[in-house]
Amino acid sequence: MSEFDAPVLELADISKTYGRRAGAVNAVRGVSLSVGAGEVYGFLGPNGAGKSTTIRMLLGLIAPSAGIVRLFGRDLHTDPSVLRRVGSLVDGGNFYPFLSGRRNLEVLAKTHGGGSGRIDALLDQVGLVGDAGRKVKGYSTGMRQRLGVAGALLTDPDIVILDEPVNGLDAAGIQEMRSLIRSLAADRGKTVFLSSHLLNEVQQVCDRVAIIHKGEVVRESTVADLLRQDARSLRIEAAPLAAAEAALAGRWAVERSGEALLVAAARAETPEVVKRLVGAGIDLFGLAPVHSSLEDVFLAITAEEPGDA
Amino acid sequence: MLDAISAEAIKFTRHRATWGLVWIWPIGLAAIGLVAIAVGLLNPAVADSGQANAAGWIADAVAFWRVPGQGLGRCVIGAFVAMVFAGEYGWNTWKLIVPHRARSTLIAAKYVVALALLGCGFVLGAMVFNLAGWAEDVLTGDPIPPGIELGALAAAHGRGALAAIAPLLLTTAYVSFAAILTRSTVAALMIGFFVTTGEQLFRLFAPLFEPYAPGLIRALYQALPGYHVVNIGGWITTGELLQAPFASGVYSAPFAVSLAIVAFWVVLLVGLTFWRFRRQDIN
Repeated sequence: MSEFDAPVLELADISKTYGRRAGAVNAVRGVSLSVGAGEVYGFLGPNGAGKSTTIRMLLGLIAPSAGIVRLFGRDLHTDPSVLRRVGSLVDGGNFYPFLSGRRNLEVLAKTHGGGSGRIDALLDQVGLVGDAGRKVKGYSTGMRQRLGVAGALLTDPDIVILDEPVNGLDAAGIQEMRSLIRSLAADRGKTVFLSSHLLNEVQQVCDRVAIIHKGEVVRESTVADLLRQDARSLRIEAAPLAAAEAALAGRWAVERSGEALLVAAARAETPEVVKRLVGAGIDLFGLAPVHSSLEDVFLAITAEEPGDA
Repeated sequence: MLDAISAEAIKFTRHRATWGLVWIWPIGLAAIGLVAIAVGLLNPAVADSGQANAAGWIADAVAFWRVPGQGLGRCVIGAFVAMVFAGEYGWNTWKLIVPHRARSTLIAAKYVVALALLGCGFVLGAMVFNLAGWAEDVLTGDPIPPGIELGALAAAHGRGALAAIAPLLLTTAYVSFAAILTRSTVAALMIGFFVTTGEQLFRLFAPLFEPYAPGLIRALYQALPGYHVVNIGGWITTGELLQAPFASGVYSAPFAVSLAIVAFWVVLLVGLTFWRFRRQDIN
């Protein structure tokens, strides 16, 4: 497989176990996923699910106990130089507290072996030009986060890995970050791998998501499919409403929502709902699946044990 | 590699505590020199009576080079090295740089910068020590013996600097390995302190304990670096080998043997530092 038709990022059955024998903890178990070029990929999971461990493995910070991490088709273990094409923000942007924001980026650029020419533009892009000369120890969490994003983009990487990039940002900052992530993929063809606990943000910016729970990926799909598959109720506008409610109530849970009914039926049960209403002589004016939010889906999935999903 | 070294230099020349451990020697010695001059001027009776001959004056002038091999000097070296190598764990900044450079390059850059800055600190310290002694003699009226030549003084400084290299490298090797192993500046410093102190105490007292385990004590004495560091320094500065008075017979290693044993320990510890860091999980 050449570099061009390989996924940009691929995790093949990776696991991480800490400790040995009886005290061993399986932080990540058999995680496999792949991310294509130009995709914005969300990586979701509750605290302690294994998100950070997985991200550290794909950045070469920790070694997998088993499995392979491939970037641009190359095995990270045998060719760690491929990480030069990766920009990352891990743990909310930890920087040298005694250096200014600009100096930190200079250190980073020198460590990378390039990129210092982009420092001013990036500071401008993340809104830190006025504070670039201040020591990082005086920065707010949001400012560190923005500096972290600037650091991640310093070498104009092909893939950007962002671990909780909106932590500490205010509403305007979150909106800017959302625009930035979208433009990275849409306008500049970058691939973005993003973990976040702000599910609304993920729903708005990601093409695909994986949900990790107790160290295992329990669901991976496009956001749209995930929401569609998990649509578990129908909104029905019919007359007379009381007769419609009576026709459906024996089979599904029904509740009134203004001038409509909410019926706890899955999308696949839609024909049966329609048949019952028509059979009862009820006029049907509208029927639509009620989409869950990503948060609803996430909570439903992570409430299940791995393997149940 | 030059970029990585430059990045390290930016960090540690702007970190006050680390930078202070480089400048502690020239600044501290300048301050002590000024105090000595002031005391000498105010109370000529307590002023140093000075050396009667040129060789003695030169030996006094380059005495600072003994500091890197002594307890205090090795503690300061250890503190600096602990900051350089373990600081990244405390600031949680390995995550920032490890993905972008080979781990071995990052560690190599730290060794280069640590040794270069320590070298600068000690050279400046030696110069200040020398100048302060001269100024004190001139200002307090102590006689400077005739026959002092710049070439002889420079050669004495050169020998002192060469003698300081072995303890400098060995302390750096101990503490850098401890820093990577423990991921803690304080732990690295403490381990460095105990190991260097233990090494010096063993060198001093091992002959006393020889009767309890004759073969073992003598073998350890010959294999561990404590004796050999001092032997190298002594041979470089005075041309004499260190005689260790064991009951079973005086032990004295040739210069080349001492050099090889110290080199072995330094290479082993530095190699272990690289090996450990390459395999370490950065959580």
